[in-house]
Amino acid sequence: MSEDEFYKRAEVVKLDTLSDVNDIGKPWRYEENGLTVTRTSPWSPPGCHPVGCGLKLYVDDDGKLVKVEGDENNPVTQGRLCPRCVALKDYIYSPARLLHPMKRAREDRGKADKWEQISWDEALDIIKENYERITAEYGRKSIAVFAGTGREGGTFAPYGTMCFGTPNFCYTQSGYACYTPRLAAIAYIAGTTYPEWDYAGALPKRWDDPAYDQTEVLMVWGKAPLESSPDGFFGHAVIDAMRRGTRLIVIDPRVTWLAAHADIHLQLRAGTDTALGMAMLNIIINEGLYDHDFVEYWCYGFDELAERVKEMTPERAAEICDVPVEKIYEAARMYASAKPGAIQWGLAADQKTNGMQQGQVSVALMAITGNLDAPGGQILPGTGAGHNEAGFGFEKGVGADLQAEMIGLAEYPAYCMIILNAQADLMLKALETEEPYPIKMGFYAGNNLMSCTSMEPKRWHDAIVKSLEFCVGLDTFMNPSIEASCDLFLPLATVAERDGTVFTHYAPCTVTAGFMHKAITQGEGKTDYEVCYEIGKKLRPEVWEEFATAKEFMEALRLGKREGGTYFDKVAENVVCQIPVSYYKYERGEMREDGGPGFATPTGRVELWSTAFNQFGEDPLPYYEEPEFGPVDPELMKEYPFILTTGARTIAFFHSEHRQIPYLRELNPDPITEINPAVAKRLGITDGQWVRLTSPFGECVQKARITEAVDEKTIHAQHAWWFPEEDGNEPNLYGNFRSNINNLLPNFHFGKLGFGAPNKCLVCKVEPIAESFDTDMDLIWEKFGELV
Amino acid sequence: MTTYGLLFDYEYCTNCGSCQVSCKEEHAYPVGKTGIKVMTDGPWKIDDEHWNYNHWPIVTDLCDLCPERTNAGREPICVHHCLANIITYGPVEELAQKLAEKPKQFLVVPQFNPIGSREKFVSKKTDTHKAAHIEVEGTGKASYAVHRHDTKVGEIDENEGTVF
Repeated sequence: MSEDEFYKRAEVVKLDTLSDVNDIGKPWRYEENGLTVTRTSPWSPPGCHPVGCGLKLYVDDDGKLVKVEGDENNPVTQGRLCPRCVALKDYIYSPARLLHPMKRAREDRGKADKWEQISWDEALDIIKENYERITAEYGRKSIAVFAGTGREGGTFAPYGTMCFGTPNFCYTQSGYACYTPRLAAIAYIAGTTYPEWDYAGALPKRWDDPAYDQTEVLMVWGKAPLESSPDGFFGHAVIDAMRRGTRLIVIDPRVTWLAAHADIHLQLRAGTDTALGMAMLNIIINEGLYDHDFVEYWCYGFDELAERVKEMTPERAAEICDVPVEKIYEAARMYASAKPGAIQWGLAADQKTNGMQQGQVSVALMAITGNLDAPGGQILPGTGAGHNEAGFGFEKGVGADLQAEMIGLAEYPAYCMIILNAQADLMLKALETEEPYPIKMGFYAGNNLMSCTSMEPKRWHDAIVKSLEFCVGLDTFMNPSIEASCDLFLPLATVAERDGTVFTHYAPCTVTAGFMHKAITQGEGKTDYEVCYEIGKKLRPEVWEEFATAKEFMEALRLGKREGGTYFDKVAENVVCQIPVSYYKYERGEMREDGGPGFATPTGRVELWSTAFNQFGEDPLPYYEEPEFGPVDPELMKEYPFILTTGARTIAFFHSEHRQIPYLRELNPDPITEINPAVAKRLGITDGQWVRLTSPFGECVQKARITEAVDEKTIHAQHAWWFPEEDGNEPNLYGNFRSNINNLLPNFHFGKLGFGAPNKCLVCKVEPIAESFDTDMDLIWEKFGELV
Repeated sequence: MTTYGLLFDYEYCTNCGSCQVSCKEEHAYPVGKTGIKVMTDGPWKIDDEHWNYNHWPIVTDLCDLCPERTNAGREPICVHHCLANIITYGPVEELAQKLAEKPKQFLVVPQFNPIGSREKFVSKKTDTHKAAHIEVEGTGKASYAVHRHDTKVGEIDENEGTVF
């Protein structure tokens, strides 16, 4: 296929609610009523796991962004926008936005008024001075790049490899309990990456494309796609499919809106998903409902899997999961009989100690029903997919010797090698104990780990503040992590102030490829690729000789081209492109580097019995393990009688972001804990009252919402709360530790391969408190309402 | 004059909040004010298996149907951004036909600030009773008897004050 065809402007499918007066067919930049309109496809910031919705930015003669509107030229979003992008103007011109580099003395960490504005040149000099001093004494491995989630910086591996030359790029969530365990599961089992549900996103006529086969049944498993919409997938595509007759099975401990509208809702006890999946495999195999030909020709280890799942009878699973047994039968039969059927696996898979096994049973279900790489089933990325972002510049910038010293590599190769990341829990240990070696310098690549992505956040806070001699924060706003621990602040450009690329699911499972266009200049913010390039060139010019400009680096990293930025400029004019999709690639040798038919696994088949798991010392077959904290420990349950599940997303915020945007905060002013009405009555908690949640690891306070969305054994609590309107000085740190549900969640409770954490299946007790911490929305409006 | 309205297919409203935030951006409404918001009913159980769980976008008295946009032939901004694509703008006659096509919809014709947009009060009454010029004399006493005519709890003498 020619390149021109690969990044071709997407065809448009007009929504019937869109007026005949519209902007379909307009170029990437045009004039309208005295305003310059720039069409763009945003990634970050503000945070978003890459989806690349269509956006039109209206700029006046003074260079001011005056309006933001959804772009109807995007084939998937079709003009629709979630509230975070609708409020983009308020994010960009917020009075709290930080637009210039700032420095602060190390002894002034935690003092909000000690920052002093400096130039980029001085900032780079300060980084160089500290880099040279620290690496001279401790080596480059003593630098940790702390990554967040979703934003471009979150996976910007070149910060580690090429910029600082350290093997220790690290996402600090215990057991990397977010996304990567699922990727690892399918990589090891089927030799591919994220198997997104086929929602016809890459097909020119979308749902009506002749190549598409309407999904009959979609099993939404441990995922809230409507609220987690930015996770590589436009969540409301589920609604589009429902309108076209797709029926749902929802597996979730909460009665989400989707669950309430599903044919079958399996409201299981949080953390027991693997037992449920094994029971569904048991039913589908026992009743002969699987795709016999696919299993015969394309799977490995079916008999062993069949033997293993015999032990998980539906009756046993019903007891473990606390779900009626007939519903398990019904769901397994419904999913297996659907042609095509699909699964959307969510974060819940990662957030349990044996999450890898849940990933394994999910892939097994997709495989034996013949839905892998089938239209309307699961899209599988072929050999051409992905940009090797994690490995970009690794050999040159880090080298084999230093790579071998990556924290956790020796103990957890299945974790560290697949994502080229230091193992999170062992990084915490290194910060605390200097074992295996000291960590002395830190860089936050668009990350607020103390509010969002670290468990026992006070422990991470103490370890970082104590250990790091120098720490740099890069962001759009101040946040508790930077306030507590950084000596240098660098401003980050928002999506409206930058160019760049955006690929759904970071590129390995690409449905659309989008391009960002700079529409305005605001302050001195830079993009991740510019910051990486400029710091890198300053510290290690020899590594960067091949790139004359930052844009050339971005073009090479994102598009694999070296055409001085002209290739980027050419394809970027298309704003959004549908990446050509094809099905049944394994029959044609398009799933393997050697071009042979089959899958990129040791046996060439989908390994229901996993060679890789076996090699890493893990059971090659799926097995169920009771959550460590739960009914398995009756003594513990006496003190902590509820199953605590956390972190379901809210559409108002991207994780810890957006709390200072009044229109968004208004949608969800306070941190919410969901409690069943019967429990609330028993404990004397009224709707809207504040409660204290306590686990064996810590406590926090949140505001109760009394709702049947959770059953009587379950408590759900929101995550990533801090309060930008409050005092930023230590120890308050914008109220960072008051409502932080991560206080209750542990480190060091991951699975055998180093992956997984019990974030969605812990235990807690809950008690009403007399105090109220209700957010004063008038204060939010007063502080952040007037844009600059 | 054609009357325009909004047809809501609430079967698929997911409470994403895009309508509210879009409205506030378009009109620069402060915190606490909006032209549209979403109300929720549920989840509560209809029977052992099924849930009632509906969201309803409700237009307020600040909904003006986005005249700047609609005068230019475009749809109101909430219609444009609605993630579930459940809002249709158009003449009520056309929307009424669509309303008949499927259940779980409702049709609304909003009115902007209806009380505030009334004209200032001016009495329209012209033919009124004219007060008559008749001389009267005082009784010399004030009475507390307001509840029952036979319960005289006290009297005020105009010269001596209250007498019980």
